[in-house]
Amino acid sequence: MPAIAAHHQPDRNFKYWIIAPAIFLLLAVGLFPLIYSLVVSFMRIDMMDTDTSFAGLYNYKQLFKDLRLWQSLLHTLIITAVALPLELLFGLAMAYLFLEKMPGRQIFVSLLVLPTIISPIVAGATWRLLLDNQYGPINQILGWFAGHRVNLLWTINPFLVYPAIIFCEIWQWTPFMFLILLAALSNVDKSQTEAAEIDGASFIRTFRYIVLPAIWPVMAIAILIRGLDLFRIFDIIWALTMGGPGTMTETISIYTYTMGFKQFETSYTAAIAFLVIAILTVVVTWAIRRMGLAK
Amino acid sequence: MVTRRDVGKLGVAAGLAGSTSFAARQAAAADAAQTAVDAAKQFSGQTISIVWEAGLQALDPLNFSGPKWKELTGIDVKVVEVSTAEMFTKIMQDYKSGAGAYDALNVIPSWMPDLVNAGALEDLDPYVEKYGFREELQKIASTYRDNQMMVNGKIYGFPDDGDVFVMYFRKDIFADPAVQAAFKEKTGKDLAVPTTWAEFDATGPVLTEILKDKGTYGAGFFRQPPYTMFMFQERFRNEGGKFFDPDTMKATINSDVGVKVLTDMRAENAWMPPGVEQWGFVENLAAFLQGQTAMTISWPPYGRWAAGYGTDQEVLSWVPKSTIAGKVGYAMPPGGHPELAAGFCLSVASTSKNKEAAYLFIQWLNSEAISLQRVQLPYALRDPFRDSHFTSAEYLSRWPDAKDYLAALQAGATNGLLDLSVLQTDKYEEALRQMISKLWAGDDPKAIADAAAADWDAITDKIGVDKQKAVYGAWASKSGAYPKM
Repeated sequence: MPAIAAHHQPDRNFKYWIIAPAIFLLLAVGLFPLIYSLVVSFMRIDMMDTDTSFAGLYNYKQLFKDLRLWQSLLHTLIITAVALPLELLFGLAMAYLFLEKMPGRQIFVSLLVLPTIISPIVAGATWRLLLDNQYGPINQILGWFAGHRVNLLWTINPFLVYPAIIFCEIWQWTPFMFLILLAALSNVDKSQTEAAEIDGASFIRTFRYIVLPAIWPVMAIAILIRGLDLFRIFDIIWALTMGGPGTMTETISIYTYTMGFKQFETSYTAAIAFLVIAILTVVVTWAIRRMGLAK
Repeated sequence: MVTRRDVGKLGVAAGLAGSTSFAARQAAAADAAQTAVDAAKQFSGQTISIVWEAGLQALDPLNFSGPKWKELTGIDVKVVEVSTAEMFTKIMQDYKSGAGAYDALNVIPSWMPDLVNAGALEDLDPYVEKYGFREELQKIASTYRDNQMMVNGKIYGFPDDGDVFVMYFRKDIFADPAVQAAFKEKTGKDLAVPTTWAEFDATGPVLTEILKDKGTYGAGFFRQPPYTMFMFQERFRNEGGKFFDPDTMKATINSDVGVKVLTDMRAENAWMPPGVEQWGFVENLAAFLQGQTAMTISWPPYGRWAAGYGTDQEVLSWVPKSTIAGKVGYAMPPGGHPELAAGFCLSVASTSKNKEAAYLFIQWLNSEAISLQRVQLPYALRDPFRDSHFTSAEYLSRWPDAKDYLAALQAGATNGLLDLSVLQTDKYEEALRQMISKLWAGDDPKAIADAAAADWDAITDKIGVDKQKAVYGAWASKSGAYPKM
C-alpha cells in the first residue's frame, strides 16, 4: 500500500518537530553552558584580564597546588560522612515509629516534614539566631541545666562549629529520609514479617533479611539524593559560619562561589567545576553499581 | 587597538568638551543642584537605575531623593537594592555581561581601582566640567575628597558618605567621682578617656572590674571578621605598622606590630562582655545603648541613635531604646587616626545607556544643598562628608550634644585613614577576615599573621609585583594612607 505510506510520512516527521523545541531548550540550557564552561576552563579569564587565548592545562595544574581547594573537599566529605548515616538512621527510626497507626499520626507526620520545606538559607539564619551567645535560647536552656550562664560560641569555637552545622543539617533533612523510608516500609509485605515473627526471628534478623531487601531500592535512591545534596551543601553553612572560623568549615561549594563570584577567577572556577563533575561522576557511577541501582 | 566602544567614548568626550566652556561658565555661577535639575529636565520621562546598599541606606533614594528628583525633573529613579557583600559582584557582573542594567552606582572607595581597571566606571571629569561641579567638589572634607574621588588622576566617584570610626564613651561614668576614686585606688592614675591603645588596655579592664556588678563592662566592640578587619587595619597603622615593604611588595602585616595588635585584641575579649567574639553591628549597638559597655567604637549612626535622634521613626523601631541619651561623649579612637571604614562614592556605570541623566542625578545628590538634607535623614545612614555639614546650624541644633558629635566627625574627616585599596583589594581583605576569624577560634597570633602574610604574597605574585607596586605606591602616597608619625 505505497499510497497510504506516502500519505502518513509527514505525520512521522511531525513528532520530531513537536519535541524539537524541548530538545533545543535542553541543549541550550544544559549542554551549551557545560561546553562553554569547559572552553573557559582552558583560558585565563579573571577580574583583571579577559585573556581568551588557549592556556592549556594551566588552571587544572593549579588545582593540584591549591591546598584550600583540597581542604574544602575534605570538609565536604567530613560533613557528608557524618550527616548522611545519621540522617538515614534517624529517618529509619522515625519511619518505624510512625509505621503503626496511632492517634494524630497524620498531624505528627505533617509537623515533622516542616523543616524540609524551609529554605536552607532561612534555616541556617534561624539556627544562627538560636545559637547566638547573647540572645539565642540554646545557651540559655543549657544554662538552666548547668545552673550557671553558659557561654558557648557555637559558630566560632573550632570544637563546636562542626557539631552545630551537622545538627542543623540533620534537623532539616532527616524528615526527608523519614518520609521516603516511611513510604518504603509501608510497602513491605506484612505477611513475610509476620511469618518471620511467628518463626521466632529477631527484629534485627527480620530487618536484615526481609525488610532491608524490600526497601533497599528506595533507600539507595534516598541515600544517593541526600549524598549529592550534602556534597553541594552551601546555604546552611553560609548562613551559620560563612565557612569560618578561618576556612575551617569551607565546603567545595562555598570555595567555588568565593572563587567565582567574589574573586572573579572565572577560568579557574570553571576548572574547579569540572573537577567536581569528574569526582561526582566517578562516585555516583560507583555508587549506582554498588547499590545495584543499575539493574 | 581602538575599539568601537572607544570611538563612542571619544565622541562623547569631544561633544562634552565642545559644549563645556559656555555651559561651565553658566553652570558654575549657579547652585550645582539647580544646574543638575535644569539640565536633567531634557530627560523627563526616562528612568534611571541606581545600585544602593539594601536596607536603611536605600531609604534615602526610595523615600526622599528618588521621589524628589522625579518631582523636579520628571525622571524616575529605580533603586536596585543590593547587600554590601554582593555590591561589587553585581556591579562587575553587570559590566562583564554588558547588560547595562545599572546607570548610577554606589561604590565603596577601596573598590575603585579594581572597577576602573576593569573599565566598569565612567570618567566623570568631562561631566564635572560641563556642569560646573568642580567648585562644590572642593568643599567635600579633605580626607574624602583627596583620597576617595580619583584613580589615576581622573574623577570616578563623588565621595558621598562620611564613614569613619568614632569612639563613643559614657561621659557620666568617666565623670562619676566614685568611679574616678575607685580607678585611682586601683591604678594610681586619674581616669581619662584613652587616647592610645596602651591606655585603652589599661583602662578598660579596670572599668570592667569596677562596674561589672552594675552590669557594665569597660568596653565592647563588634568582633565579627568583616568589621574587625577594618579595626585591625586602623589599629595596625596607628601602632606604626605598614601593609607592605614598598620595595619588594612583601606583606608586612606579620611584623611585630601586627602580632602585637592581634594578641592585644584577643586579650581584650577577656574583660569585654562574654561572647563579644560573635558581636556584629547590632549586638554592639544594643549593648552600648542599653548601658552594658562604657566605651565602644563604631560608625557615626551610633552617635545619633545613642542621642535618640530619629529613633522614634517606624523604620528604626528595631534600634533598642537608648538608655544613655545625653550621657555619650565622642572622641577619636585610640591612636587618633580613625579608619574611614568603607564609605560610599557615587559613580556612573560605563555601560549605562543614560550616562548623562545618571550623572546629573548623582551631581544633584552630592551637591551642597541636597547632601545636607540627606545626611540629616535619621534613617538613611549617610554620614556628614562636606565641610558645610559639620558647621550646619540646622544639624548643630538636632540634639544637645550634636556640636560635639559633629566636631568628632570633622576631626575624623581630617585625620582618617583610608582602607587599603589596591588591585583585587577584596582578596587581601578576605585574608584579613580569615585571620581575624582564626584569632577568635584560638589560633596562635604569630602563626595566623604569617599565614595571612603568605596569602597576601601569593595574591601579589599572581597579580604581578610591579603592577601592584605601582598601585600601592599611588595609594600609600595619599594623605590618608598612613598616620603622620
